[in-house]
Amino acid sequence: MVTLTIDDKQVTASKNATIYEAAKAAGIQIPVICHDKKLNPFGGCRMCLVEVEQMKGRQIPACTTPVTEGMIVRTTTDEIIKARKMVLELLLLKHPIDCPVCDAAGDCDLQNLTYEYKVNTNRFQDEKFNWKIDYENPLIERDMNRCVHCGKCARICDEIVSYGAYSFINRGINAKIGTEYDGPLNCEFCGSCVSVCPVGALVSRPFKFKARWWAMNKVKTVCGYCGTGCQLTLGVKDSKVLTTIYDENQGFHNGQLCTRGRWGYQFINSDKRITTPLVKKNGSLQPATWEEALNVVSAKLKEAKSTPDSLAALVSPRLTNEELLLTRKLFKDLLGCDNVDHSAGYAHTALTSGAKESLGYPASPSVVADVQKSDLLLVINADLYQTHPVLGFEINLAVKRQGSAIQIVSDKKGKLSKLPEAKTSIYKPGAELLVINAIAKVILDENLLDSSAQSTGGFSAWQKGLESLSVDQAADQCGIAADEIKAIARNYAKAEKALILLPTGMGYPGHGKELAQAVINLALLTGKVGKEGSGVLILGEKNNSQGAADLSIHPTSGGKSALDIIAGCVSGSIKTLYVAGENPVVSYPNRKLVETALEKVEFLVVQDLFLTPTAAMADVVLPACSFAEKDGTFTSALGAVQRVNRAINPVGESRSDFRILNDLYNAVSGQPAFTDVKAAFQELSGTVAGYAGLSYDTLGDEGSVRPVSGTATFVPVAAAAPATESGKLALVTGSALNHSGTLSVYGEGPMLVCPEAYVELNREDAKSLSISDGDQVAIKSSTGELRLKAKVGSRLPKGVVFAPYHFADASINTVTAGSAVTFVTIGK
Amino acid sequence: MSENAAIKILICQGTGGVSMGAKEVEAEFNRVIAEKGVDAVVGKRCDVIKTGCRGLCANDVLVDIITEENGRVTYDFVKPEEVENIINEHIVNKTVLEKRKAKPYYNTFVDQQLRIVMTGCGQINPESLDAYLEEDGFKAVQKCVKEMSPAGVIDEVKKSGLRGRGGGGFPTGMKWSFCAGSPGELKYVICNADEGDPGAFMDRSVLEGDPYCVIEGMMIAGYAIGAVAGYVYVRAEYPLAIERLQMALDVCYEKGYLGKNVMGLGFDFDLRIKKGAGAFVCGEETALMASIEGERGMPRPRPPFPAVKGLWGKPSNINNVETFANVRHIILRGAEWYASLGTETTKGTKIFAVTGKVKHTGLVEVPAGMTVSDVIYKVCGGIANNRKFKAVQAGGPSGGCIPAEILDTPVDYDSLIKAGAMMGSGGLVVMDETTCMVDVARFFLTFTRDESCGKCVPCRIGLKAMLDVLERITTGQGVPSDIDTLLDMGNTIKKASLCGLGQTAPNPILSTIKYFRHEYEAHINEKRCPSNCCKELLLWQVVEEKCVKCGACFKACPVDAIRWEKGQIAFLDQEKCTKCKSCYDACRFMAIE
Repeated sequence: MVTLTIDDKQVTASKNATIYEAAKAAGIQIPVICHDKKLNPFGGCRMCLVEVEQMKGRQIPACTTPVTEGMIVRTTTDEIIKARKMVLELLLLKHPIDCPVCDAAGDCDLQNLTYEYKVNTNRFQDEKFNWKIDYENPLIERDMNRCVHCGKCARICDEIVSYGAYSFINRGINAKIGTEYDGPLNCEFCGSCVSVCPVGALVSRPFKFKARWWAMNKVKTVCGYCGTGCQLTLGVKDSKVLTTIYDENQGFHNGQLCTRGRWGYQFINSDKRITTPLVKKNGSLQPATWEEALNVVSAKLKEAKSTPDSLAALVSPRLTNEELLLTRKLFKDLLGCDNVDHSAGYAHTALTSGAKESLGYPASPSVVADVQKSDLLLVINADLYQTHPVLGFEINLAVKRQGSAIQIVSDKKGKLSKLPEAKTSIYKPGAELLVINAIAKVILDENLLDSSAQSTGGFSAWQKGLESLSVDQAADQCGIAADEIKAIARNYAKAEKALILLPTGMGYPGHGKELAQAVINLALLTGKVGKEGSGVLILGEKNNSQGAADLSIHPTSGGKSALDIIAGCVSGSIKTLYVAGENPVVSYPNRKLVETALEKVEFLVVQDLFLTPTAAMADVVLPACSFAEKDGTFTSALGAVQRVNRAINPVGESRSDFRILNDLYNAVSGQPAFTDVKAAFQELSGTVAGYAGLSYDTLGDEGSVRPVSGTATFVPVAAAAPATESGKLALVTGSALNHSGTLSVYGEGPMLVCPEAYVELNREDAKSLSISDGDQVAIKSSTGELRLKAKVGSRLPKGVVFAPYHFADASINTVTAGSAVTFVTIGK
Repeated sequence: MSENAAIKILICQGTGGVSMGAKEVEAEFNRVIAEKGVDAVVGKRCDVIKTGCRGLCANDVLVDIITEENGRVTYDFVKPEEVENIINEHIVNKTVLEKRKAKPYYNTFVDQQLRIVMTGCGQINPESLDAYLEEDGFKAVQKCVKEMSPAGVIDEVKKSGLRGRGGGGFPTGMKWSFCAGSPGELKYVICNADEGDPGAFMDRSVLEGDPYCVIEGMMIAGYAIGAVAGYVYVRAEYPLAIERLQMALDVCYEKGYLGKNVMGLGFDFDLRIKKGAGAFVCGEETALMASIEGERGMPRPRPPFPAVKGLWGKPSNINNVETFANVRHIILRGAEWYASLGTETTKGTKIFAVTGKVKHTGLVEVPAGMTVSDVIYKVCGGIANNRKFKAVQAGGPSGGCIPAEILDTPVDYDSLIKAGAMMGSGGLVVMDETTCMVDVARFFLTFTRDESCGKCVPCRIGLKAMLDVLERITTGQGVPSDIDTLLDMGNTIKKASLCGLGQTAPNPILSTIKYFRHEYEAHINEKRCPSNCCKELLLWQVVEEKCVKCGACFKACPVDAIRWEKGQIAFLDQEKCTKCKSCYDACRFMAIE
């Protein structure tokens, strides 16, 4: 610690602190424009100049200069005020005074500082710039005439997003922020640049002219898309969510969001929302009152109480913990039905079976803070950046700023492969278990295991299981050279701190449980569980996938899993199916089979925001609320239990899932399950492991990372050589960066950038099939056939094709049926 | 060169020489010598040697012929067609062509200097390692590694009093010790050869004329600091310097003077060239390092200083070409010898690029402490065209001007700063009475405005705002408060800017206001340019009493605005005149005003 004097005040600060940070901590606000706590020091705007007794004669930028012992700092001398005023005068000389039509007005650093420093005259006169405004992308308006050259957009895009869409170009007075060849912006559209822009040079196009900044309510909540659990501030006016607002003090991610978190909010107030209950009459869905609809549903549920095996529920992990608890109480406890599941069953087994058996709890042993403390990040599946983009930012920072090494083991390359010195080893689709087992085998063979491994339960049985594995043979089968496997094993075993990251999701069928167990075995073998900067992060796909795992929203006493429920509908054993927020027609394997199931089931209730293809087949549709319309909690994949806060009134007559389920509970049992959400949380904290001691009221804005505890054990995982079919392409599915599940397709932002389904293939394959980028191609498997747009690139290895699963039209489950790899032929 | 090669023909082939046709002259010497069998005729071998710049570029092509009989004789303005005659007379007949010899001022120009850094320049073949070795090349680095500890080398440099020749004048030994003291396995030595000041070309000449001495200087620095790799950042506008340096590097690698275990001394040193893409700001050390890293050349805040966190985040030491070129002489001849040269605070010599309205423009290396007046009058022969000296701009766009009153300022770091100028990299632009000081300030500010990287607000917009005021003044639109505005802005920009560019860019304005405030006032209050330079303020006419009827103005006028017949006084037609000033510049009798 260092002691210094700032404006005659004794201040103690860390020796790594800057003058700005030390002053801020002491309650002395130094003005800044180009400074951002997330970014490397820049020192461009010169607003934060201060005087330092020991450095007389110069004015010192407070935001880049570290404190030193005994430093005497003055932040507001006449000279300093004069310099700051000059900076503002100069900026205003070029900056257009178009505040009345600028979306940044009210939230503009330049405007606020001009006001604060009372700069109402200018000694100079000059013409404004006349740069062409970039309207050529759907989401970000770039008006470089307003730019103050703080460089934050270029810096955040480079340092954190690691995309590099911007750079300073030109020199002198003509310097400006440019894009590639100064053309229109074309990037991944995370909008980080918009969020950090201190003026209105970068503004959100969907939000343009929607509301003045000061006229909006700002409501803090949690993003409703992926499992990363980013905190979010919604800008609300007249009970409509108009935008997302950047708050650099929110969450581990300092308010940064990904493309769907930032731009995907429009589904909330979409005019496609269902606003009244619908009941099927004479073969078509007709608007109905809540009373009527609930009566129909509750009658069916009461009826099913006597035959609970004929009842089933598919519940989305987008629901809050309280709603999931209610589901459990209604179906499992009250109606005695264990046929309850989510995420097609397979997408949660990594946690609910894999981690549960291996670690004793259905969650990751590591937390987000471990990412940036690690020496080596072992990423299984490069799609992690697509499934959990903001966690991807953390990885970027770990590699670029903390110097962590990154090894990606995947069936394709990804954005993470482009990080400095990133190593990507590509295995044949479906060979992931084999690769992980081979890595473990090398560690055993070379005696690189940790001393704790042998005393961990199940070690010898597991070791025995690997005895017959030949690394060379595995290398041949999986497509990664034996030397490369050995290098990965050695680097991983020898790394002081190494973290394995494993994304999961409905786009990734196959070895959920086994893969999680295989990587946990690896971590246990090398003593990396329970150590800072180490361990395993198994990442649930949806905003509350982890909550659903914690609450066991899956069959626990012999009930049917999701895919068995679908089969049960087909066979007739399931007669009543209750779907809350799931969209199996689009997202479960084998669309045709699912449609048959939903056609056959006697009574289908769908509770959703939209008339999804699933809802369209229902007997009763109950309009539910989005996360912006309700209170409750989500548990992130990183273990944080966070409050979701109601920002707007329910759209139309829609009701929160909590209220709907509670009303049904009441109708069946004669009394509601809970008085309110808070009471549900209280029960949850008393019954769910790790939630003990948490209180709804004290979670606050920050949330709380719930602890995990259990006994780890090695679990043998059998791995076979990946299947191949000669002459066919191996189709793997997954997530697209702009989308999450089947919800984001109702958001305007994601759809502006990524509007339709596609199939991605390698240049060589495309060439040999005479397919060009953008062509419509037919993709055919033993399950079905589909026409999709081709996207040709270099991300995929030869012989492998990829398709995202989010799109209702041309959904990829038309050709896939739930195996890790689907063999297809592609032609024009 | 072998010992019995008694006749040496040294042909200056710096950029100046080459552009004046030195290659053709060399080819002609070789052709004539071969065809006529001159070697056999005189019984001695004639070595035609290309050398680097020897300073007086204005007189290129310079050819020195060294014979036993006549010693060293310099011919200037040599053209290929007279080569044969020179060979016949001077070499074969052993008669010096007195008429073609460089005039006495050439010798004065040379003799008044003290050449240390430039000893090799103009004397040896810059493309020959052997030539360098003959001049004790690489002896200094051997001495360092064999006889001295790294700390000892740093001490020696400290004792010598050598200060950075890039302009700032930071003590070199001290700088090295900072980098040497920084923890880290990998460190870098960087040579800044991004010489960008208008009118400065000493680093270019050193690289062109004696590239090996820079390499050796960097090796010594590498040994002292513990760096195993280095970069020379040369601006791409110096193709010949790059070519010769690259050639030298290639030879060094080939012969084991660079790479692993250099010269068997047990230390490794790698060196490569990074070509700059023409941004002035890349002469600023942090911007230079950003540029090497492949980033846009923009300065970074300091601290962290390069010695702690420089190139690629590693401790780095960066010095200028001339600084490195000094090092081997210090090591070979001792710190005490070096410290005996110069003044109390500035040791050794300094190379100046003298340009402008001076008789003999070129490169001069003089001991620090010589007065500005001596450099201009004694070495460079005073002001051209019989005009009156007005000021000298020292230190380029970052420097300031020195007026006649303080012309006895010695050339050392501290005296120049005191005078409101700076050593800078060593450019001296001499101005006479026809130069308008407001216009000079405008010129330099136009340069710095365009070269600002655009990162910090005071420099990016502030310089533009100041330039607008200056342009207003030079076009007669100035208002009395402008001078105070300029002073106020200038002082604030100096203090508030991020890097050296912005911190020094107002200097030309501040120093011209300091010494030539009356010129500003004349522009503003009387709408008059006292030096007849700012064309918007001028009405040109012929002063009949002064006109000698020579017709020079008539010939110079590009728009036929001047009527003149032989023996008649010229007449200037105001209607046609575009105020281009060509007649004024052409008239040697101040008869146009």
